[in-house]
Amino acid sequence: MTSATPVSAPAETTAPPAPERHVGAAPAPAGRGSARRRELGACGVLMTPFFVLMVTVFLIPVATAVRLSFFSDDQPGLGFGPERTVFAGLRNYTAVVTDPTFLGGLGIVALYCLIYIPLMVAGALALALLLDSGVVRLRGTAQLALFLPHAVPGIIAALIWLYLYTPGISPVIEVLGKADITVDFLGVHTVLPSIVNIALWSNLGYNMVVFYAALQAVPREVIEASVVDGAGPVRTALQVKAPLVRSSIVMVAMFTLIFALQLFTEPMLLSQSTPMINSRFSPSMYIYDAAFTRNNYGLAAAASVVLLLCTVALSYGVTRWTNRAAAAEEGAR
Amino acid sequence: MPGRQSRRHVLATIAALPLTGALSACGGGGGDTRSGGTSSTGRTVSSGNGRKTRITFWSALRGSQEVVDAFNRGHDTIQVDFQQIPSGGQGGYAKLSNAARAGNAPDIATIEYPQVPGFAIDGVCRDLTGLMSDGLRAKLLPQALGLTTFEKRVFSVPLDIEPMVMHYRTDLFERYGLTVPRTWEEFEDTARTVRRKGDERRMALFPTDGDTHFAAWSWQAGARWFDTSGGAWNLSLADAPTRRVAAYWQRLTDQHLVFMNASESRQSDAQIAGGAVLSRLSGAWDAGAQMKARPGQKNRWAIAPLPQWDPADPGVGTHGGSTFAVTRDSTAPEAAMEFIEWQVSHPDALRARLSSGASSQYPAAPGLVDVGREAFDRSYYGGQDIYSLFEREALKIRAGWTWGPRMTATGKLMKDGFARASGGQGDILGAVRAAEAGTVPDLEALGLSTTRHST
Repeated sequence: MTSATPVSAPAETTAPPAPERHVGAAPAPAGRGSARRRELGACGVLMTPFFVLMVTVFLIPVATAVRLSFFSDDQPGLGFGPERTVFAGLRNYTAVVTDPTFLGGLGIVALYCLIYIPLMVAGALALALLLDSGVVRLRGTAQLALFLPHAVPGIIAALIWLYLYTPGISPVIEVLGKADITVDFLGVHTVLPSIVNIALWSNLGYNMVVFYAALQAVPREVIEASVVDGAGPVRTALQVKAPLVRSSIVMVAMFTLIFALQLFTEPMLLSQSTPMINSRFSPSMYIYDAAFTRNNYGLAAAASVVLLLCTVALSYGVTRWTNRAAAAEEGAR
Repeated sequence: MPGRQSRRHVLATIAALPLTGALSACGGGGGDTRSGGTSSTGRTVSSGNGRKTRITFWSALRGSQEVVDAFNRGHDTIQVDFQQIPSGGQGGYAKLSNAARAGNAPDIATIEYPQVPGFAIDGVCRDLTGLMSDGLRAKLLPQALGLTTFEKRVFSVPLDIEPMVMHYRTDLFERYGLTVPRTWEEFEDTARTVRRKGDERRMALFPTDGDTHFAAWSWQAGARWFDTSGGAWNLSLADAPTRRVAAYWQRLTDQHLVFMNASESRQSDAQIAGGAVLSRLSGAWDAGAQMKARPGQKNRWAIAPLPQWDPADPGVGTHGGSTFAVTRDSTAPEAAMEFIEWQVSHPDALRARLSSGASSQYPAAPGLVDVGREAFDRSYYGGQDIYSLFEREALKIRAGWTWGPRMTATGKLMKDGFARASGGQGDILGAVRAAEAGTVPDLEALGLSTTRHST
């Protein structure tokens, strides 16, 4: 899942020159038409793999999911009769949005986002600012140590934490128990923070690197100016550096939001160990359960489309909101 | 900044998609297989003088290998290839669904009663109405056959029917001077005595993973969670008898008169092995499972009828029990049916199964009860004639119970609720209501006519 971010990062940096070249080519004289054709041909060749992949692994599956959500192999009445494929209309969607278990899953993910995203963004930014400020010795080692958990696949990370959370085998619980502290990491109220903890552990280092890279691009003279003006290190970090990496913060927040909405691996694994995580804990788990244990593909497809729409709408909302905020800020200056 | 924004927008959309993609990739395959794949599970092989039909059989039941061996020894024209698979909840049902979807399901699958309607609706089970002989029909207990018959069509043949009984510790009953409770009221009193005298012992367990236990108790009280009258699935999981049962167990758990934890857990194993729990409320089959699991407790257990609500109108529900279905993909349904008929009604089949030493199944064919009575090794239960007890209890099974079309999912929701209740969130009745509320959208999305009647 997280591989989408590294792919997108270069795209963001390499894409801007393309329109420029285009703009440059537009006023070219008609005599250079053949060169232009060659350029278009090269464009076509170079972009074909992208579009082929996009169609096969993106558009076709989405179209299939949408089709599955609207059509159904029905056996009317009790369901034992002969099957016929019918247009089911919004039936699957009605079922999904009236299903208390699906809505409950959405609620849990919303709560998860509210806890996780601020912690993640603030934590990663704080670490990046610390590293950038030069306070930290052994900067390379610290960076590597923080980044390393991200290299651990999500499922392995969940397994490690499952071991640390499970009473009876966890050394952490044992040590705490010796100090007369009883903790149940997998209890009714603690299970969500436990999941947040796993996700933080896995992704904090990665997002810290993103922020750190952005901070490297902050012109040194700006920082020197603030120091000359008498700002201390904390004030420099919070009032000078942080606003300058604003676009990175928005990007990290958005990707974190998108991956958070797809919450699946961690609760799926933890559910082996605690009844407090049920098989429909998050919307993604609901979809998995609907498709593979309830054999209800129409419902699963509709739930996927609903989740997709929620994600797109939220991402769109976040960008609109931050753009407007940025414009307002610029207007105020 | 509009350029940046739209690019981000697209990236966001792409990042959001893997899930939808993965789902529809799998779903697409699912849609196709229903139209009937080409399967080659049943093969006809010419050998020597005659033709031999080979059929495949999947089961998780104890003693199945012995049964298959006995059948193969006595038959030349049909040979059965047996494959032991995990029990349903441990992945056996997922395996069957996937195999049916891929067109390589076995000829015969073992399905427990609660899952029969689901597999029938999904088209895994073949309609056996025409294949089943009248002789076989007559041999089976009507309450058992009723559970696998929908719209007058039989989708699966019952092997065993398991009335819920009370397994109890004779030695501990004696130590505390207890008598076997005959009503639930007496059961509660006994539980109170045990709590008072019993050094951290408890009368029983309310299993938080016991959706089937709870179903059996509700069934006994007269509940009808699903009803198919009027050509629709009518749900009333929280009907009056169920509410009564829920309130009863709520009181027992609130007052700590019974344990409340998962039954399939190390904790529960320890409670039974360590003598912390005085009774187990479960199906007749559990007698054999107990023998196999804890040979050291020989002579300490006996079996009694389940306590009643009203001794004047006795009833029980079933807990466990399996059926055999011929899959729609089978190419040798007649041969498969012949094996099934032999397995559920022939004395040799039951003898072979009981010879494994781990089964006390109560046959759905009453004609076999005598065979079971003779073949079962009574020494573990101090010579108690448990088959005669099962026979009396089986006659009390209330007719009219129907399992739902997505019983695994319904049960799971109920278990989730029980587990939360044990963690201090919600209660038993709430779990039952949540199970109904979470089942309805599922059925509606499947296109089934559905009504709700819980109050």
